[in-house]
Amino acid sequence: MLFPTLAFGLFFVAVYVLNWLTRPHPLVWRVTILGASLFFYAWWNWRFVFLLLWAVISNWYAGTQIERSLRSENTQGTRNWLLTAIVGDLLILGVFKYYDFFALELSNLLGADTTLPLLELTLPVGISFFTFQAMSYVIDLKRDLVKPMPFLDFAVYLSFFPQLVAGPIVRASEMAPQITQRPDPRRVQSAEAFHLILRGLFKKVVISSWLASNLVDSVFANPDGHSSHDVLLGVYGYAIQIYADFSGYTDIAIGVALLLGFRFPTNFDCPYRALSLRDFWKRWHITLSSWLRDYLYIPLGGNRGRNVETYRNLLITMILGGLWHGSTWNFIIWGLIHGVALIVERLLPKGNLPPAVRWLITFHVVCFAWVFFRAESFSNALDVLSAIAASPGSDQVSSLPVLLLIAATVGTQFISKAQTEQFRQWSNQHSALTQGVMFGIGLVLIDLFGPEGVAPFIYFQF
Amino acid sequence: MQKTPDSRIEGSPHSNGFAAGRVLLGGSVGLILAACLNSSSLLAEAKRLPDSANRAVSLAVWTPLEAAASSLKLTWPRELGERLLGRAEDEPPITLVRERTEFTSETDSDQTELVVESVQREQRSEPSSLSSMNSAPELAWDENNPLKIWVLGDSMVQFFGETFVSMAEQSSLVDGTSEPRLSSGLSRPDYFDWPARVAQVMDEYDPDVVVLMFGGNDAQNIRDADNQWLERFGEPWVEEYRRRVGFVMDIAADDDQRIILWVGQPPMSGAGFDTRMQLLNELYQMEADERESVHYIELRSLFTDTSGEYSRYLPDTSGKLVDVRLSDGVHLSHWGGKWLSELLLSEISRLSGLGDLWQQ
Repeated sequence: MLFPTLAFGLFFVAVYVLNWLTRPHPLVWRVTILGASLFFYAWWNWRFVFLLLWAVISNWYAGTQIERSLRSENTQGTRNWLLTAIVGDLLILGVFKYYDFFALELSNLLGADTTLPLLELTLPVGISFFTFQAMSYVIDLKRDLVKPMPFLDFAVYLSFFPQLVAGPIVRASEMAPQITQRPDPRRVQSAEAFHLILRGLFKKVVISSWLASNLVDSVFANPDGHSSHDVLLGVYGYAIQIYADFSGYTDIAIGVALLLGFRFPTNFDCPYRALSLRDFWKRWHITLSSWLRDYLYIPLGGNRGRNVETYRNLLITMILGGLWHGSTWNFIIWGLIHGVALIVERLLPKGNLPPAVRWLITFHVVCFAWVFFRAESFSNALDVLSAIAASPGSDQVSSLPVLLLIAATVGTQFISKAQTEQFRQWSNQHSALTQGVMFGIGLVLIDLFGPEGVAPFIYFQF
Repeated sequence: MQKTPDSRIEGSPHSNGFAAGRVLLGGSVGLILAACLNSSSLLAEAKRLPDSANRAVSLAVWTPLEAAASSLKLTWPRELGERLLGRAEDEPPITLVRERTEFTSETDSDQTELVVESVQREQRSEPSSLSSMNSAPELAWDENNPLKIWVLGDSMVQFFGETFVSMAEQSSLVDGTSEPRLSSGLSRPDYFDWPARVAQVMDEYDPDVVVLMFGGNDAQNIRDADNQWLERFGEPWVEEYRRRVGFVMDIAADDDQRIILWVGQPPMSGAGFDTRMQLLNELYQMEADERESVHYIELRSLFTDTSGEYSRYLPDTSGKLVDVRLSDGVHLSHWGGKWLSELLLSEISRLSGLGDLWQQ
């Protein structure tokens, strides 16, 4: 069930009513939200509901055992249960997401005579998101950062439909209090929620879909058939497309959760205004980068050791971050580029480059890495890069509207938070009815400007 | 690049939000308003759905709403917007003679549907390059007059069309164009009228080679010229579908020097879907066999493993396993697209007698 569809609209109205009606009754509310979330997930493929339930049950049970071991000061038991939970989660990811990739590479390495069996499994939607949330729960339990959750609370947390399939990756410590504490039904933040939903829909339906169909897909499919301008614009276009697509989804998810009385963490903070790669990763997919920092980079040693160890830790973190997105060499290369760029940033002396130059360098390193992220294969990425330098093709997709859309979207990154807040406050001044009418008109305009049909969100595949 | 100085934010009377019931009321009013303003678009979308309970329910909801909204002039802002964006429907292409059939179903009483009945072939003033090539087998094309190849079809084309064009245009004597239309096919001309589009392309661009690929969305009930739903794969359905396939082939083959490649469906991972696609492949082959300039391209052998079954991973010529299909078990991957493109190029070379075209 995609967010920008009528089916989701109807589903959400029903869930909204049930949510607020059942909120005074904790057990009924939990069962209702869990049921709605499983229904939402089953819409894609009902078989994978069992996988989700397995992740819920196994991690919750491991969590209870970790807590018990902690209380009895059984360090070995705590470690064993934590390891069991993490291995179990990685096994789910490994089987569904990575097995075929490694089996294929190994088969090709060993030669034609040795072929490892391939599973050819369909990738369950959102698997990387809910397994990472589950891992954060058991690790935080061990670190005593979160209290053990009752089963239904944990089930609601892991399966909560607004963030189930493409994040943000919400920590148990952020969700648990919101599940137990009943929000005030007289204070639904409708203005902010409607604004976020409309903004997300606009980014997805209008900007992302339009750039994909009018620029990016064509350039990446046939870079040699386009001029160098076209290809360069296509790369910039993809940077905007993926930002609009993913941050659009996050906006909608946060808005939808807000209407149900939940506040999710920020996942994007104007990433294309970053003046360094380090700054970029504090602004792009924040919940993933902070997850990688807290559960991978810091346990590896972070920047506590010698410089060379810090660089190693950075590289490992970024490469695994790349692999998190998908089991292809291109994602690994994407992570590697970011890892190397972060190391180079640390190696270079802190000069006094003007902010505009730093911005230009950062933006182009990010765009360079996006080429590998988007390309179908390594050779396709090289084709795109070489076509930027010199291409025999002609101008086919370069146009003023394309250029303006890219420039305008980058420009929005520099709008201050105060201005956004002013707009929200302006929306707040209107009655709920006026807000609803403005929301309705916004939906019509988005549908009018958007292309026919809605492509799935890019991050669903991760 | 400088951050704008933060401005003082005035408090608002409703910054603490509203009661859930009032938000529901406001949101519902907004959604109903959006549904009314958008009702013509929603009704059109419902009509495009496959013949199913979902379609019936959607029509039952949107038809009266659209009628009410239309009578209250609530649909005009959307129509105006469409017009301003230049999305007003084009006139039917001149090459087609169309019969206007009145819908008689309970849900479409005042609607009309265009059903393609026949094609009026235009006389071409200039002979195609292929005709001159056939009489004298030397290259008849140059950079100013390239071999024109068009690839038309559904989402399958989206996954290999541009790759094919890229590979074909390795020769400077070739000008390729790929035009996929997602979710389209020959079963639902009310969604996208492929016969009309194919005729338009033949008329305007006069391609030398046409690659056509349909079927992925076609295993559904279709409406005949009498506006009756024909059940999928029933005898009347097969008869009507074959007629449509043959009709498109005839449009594309209006120049008997043109090479038409009709690409069959590859094996699919879902057993039921695969069976349906095999049935369609049989129909394509039968129709192609009846026409001299239409060549059916069979894909099953290219995309099956040694046991003749669907496989996502297959060995390439060097024995290295590559993923030729996407995880959806339907579409071709980048590598699958390359394989198909190579096959098509070799077929074009063989059929045109210009094996060295891509060695230029």
